[in-house]
Amino acid sequence: MKMVKFVSKVDTGKCSGDKRCEKACPSGAIRVVDKLAVVDEGKCVACGKCEDVCREGAASLVGRPMPLFIMCDTSDVDEERIMQLCRKAHLYPEQFVCACTGTLAREAAAAILKGAQDPEELAAMTAVRSGCGIYCTGAIMRLFAAAGIDIGTAEDLKWYNLPLSVFDVPTETAEKYPMYHIEQDKRVMFKEEVFDEL
Amino acid sequence: MIKQAVQPPDYMASVYGNTPVMRAANLPGMAAVGVRDLFPDIKPEIYLHGGDLSAIVKATEEALAGVDMSMIKPGDRVNLLCSEHGFSVMEGEPYVEMLKTIWRVVKERSGNDNLRLRVATYRGFREAEEVIEHYKLKEHFDGKVSGLDCWDEGVPIETEIGTLYGIAKVYDCDWFIHAYYDDPREMYFHRMLHRALKAFVMNYARYETRSVFHMNFGNRSCAFIPKVIFDSPFVQERFAFACFLRFSPSGIIAVDADNDLYAIDRRVTVNHLKDYGKVRELMASIDKCIAVWDGGRWGYYIHAGGVCFGVFINAALDPFDLENPGALSVFNAVNEYQGGPMLTVMQINPAIKAVVINQSWPGIVIQDVPMLTPTILVGREQAEMYEKDSANPFFMNFAVTAETLDGAMGFAQRIAGTDKVIIFDGSFGNINCSPSLAQHLIDAAPEAGRRVDEELLPMWLKQRGIDPAQV
Repeated sequence: MKMVKFVSKVDTGKCSGDKRCEKACPSGAIRVVDKLAVVDEGKCVACGKCEDVCREGAASLVGRPMPLFIMCDTSDVDEERIMQLCRKAHLYPEQFVCACTGTLAREAAAAILKGAQDPEELAAMTAVRSGCGIYCTGAIMRLFAAAGIDIGTAEDLKWYNLPLSVFDVPTETAEKYPMYHIEQDKRVMFKEEVFDEL
Repeated sequence: MIKQAVQPPDYMASVYGNTPVMRAANLPGMAAVGVRDLFPDIKPEIYLHGGDLSAIVKATEEALAGVDMSMIKPGDRVNLLCSEHGFSVMEGEPYVEMLKTIWRVVKERSGNDNLRLRVATYRGFREAEEVIEHYKLKEHFDGKVSGLDCWDEGVPIETEIGTLYGIAKVYDCDWFIHAYYDDPREMYFHRMLHRALKAFVMNYARYETRSVFHMNFGNRSCAFIPKVIFDSPFVQERFAFACFLRFSPSGIIAVDADNDLYAIDRRVTVNHLKDYGKVRELMASIDKCIAVWDGGRWGYYIHAGGVCFGVFINAALDPFDLENPGALSVFNAVNEYQGGPMLTVMQINPAIKAVVINQSWPGIVIQDVPMLTPTILVGREQAEMYEKDSANPFFMNFAVTAETLDGAMGFAQRIAGTDKVIIFDGSFGNINCSPSLAQHLIDAAPEAGRRVDEELLPMWLKQRGIDPAQV
């Protein structure tokens, strides 16, 4: 979730239509149509990547007259389904999946249960990936994998599906390398008995 | 031992950071204490900022003399890989000199004229361009320079634990040279496990792989990932050699080069546990202070006495003790979680009574800092940058802004109830600080050194399979 105070604006006089902004946008808010970038303000999560990547200085973040509050409401999603999805992804529901926006695992799970099919749709529904755009990816992909959704490799290589986690390392591999405390870290990252108490 | 504050290294101007009016070291009454005055057994430097760069050239030539380069043939494509942080330490010049020397020596010895300098960065699309321009890299490297970042095209790397993704431009070669640095930076994250290999899961990796490292593995097990990437056939068949700028808290101590990266890693590990362990332990003894960020890049990575702020803010736990499940507060929060809002379990070093931000780059999530301790930004330019910072949308809800550094410091001292100040301004060799803090450091150093030498270092070494008797 995020209170989005800024929005991307494109100076059409400067825009070259090179699609660098479209490729960088995490929420699919920018599309290049007839060689000009067009912004869907309802999807813009103000990550600033369009401004950063544009070589012509055509894209910039400006203040919104009214902030846009992006959040996926979890109250109309079956709580048990949210919990099952989080458990399968080895995430506590109150755990941050996106530290930049403070988005919890339960919100991301609810968005997936409501139909988000890939990281771009998830970003538009919850504003995850609107900050650094990097560190939330791991947990997000675990949730998609847990939901049985294969997000594949994105067009323009916006993402590669990589839900790999410590829980995927076989015990026999972990035992070969005790210095890395792999089995111990599985317990640090997630405890079934804690989840059962929630 | 207490001396006048030492002028810190300058830093590269950038679109990503503000331009302060004055440096904190120039505040009236600021002092400094030398790292080797505190711990005489810390390895001495061969270079400190402002020194003679020929020492770096000479050290690089000597290090490379022992490296086998026979695998590089005249027609081969060779990538000389360098990384952004090297350019942010001590004004970046020593790193540039090392890179130039590697370039020259490789060409001379191999007859190869197909080297390409690849500049790996964190996440900003303009980071590489700024570095390339500022350091005139195209002039120094025959124009064969390009940047790369974590959003670039990936290449799958099959490892012992499955597929991970590197950046294609890192590996589009017959051979690559891993030209790096061992400044330990975020010791609380890598825990001094394979520091020398970390670039393979960060600088040279797609963002998804970086996230696996940070989010999908624990605080100790994450070190397994750079190992499996480096050990993969894909990487091994391209790896020529590594050349490292070697650091201690005193400054640059050597250049180290080897065909065996694990040999470098072992040397780095032993030295860092000894030298950085002491300065970290000393910083952990500080009971209360105001911390100032002043110069470099992202706040957590700005140094004081060669140790970055991130280490100080996570000082509550020993990052080198591998029995600690997490030396970073978020891992502790997950480990101790019993339900309810996880933010309530987050912690920072309680000794930090206020943070004054004079100069830094936004862009890495740090908004727990103003949530947990009074944080004062200096200047409206910075306030506007943080207001817009997508990585810290809550930051300005909690931080306040002062017009001047003097004003910020006065306010901080009233809130914090202390005149102890430590300045993170990129300094190695010295810690710029208030006289009161300098005196604390002097008084506490002997015990910190003893505890490391007699109690902690033997434990740390054994945990890493290193016999203390051999060190």
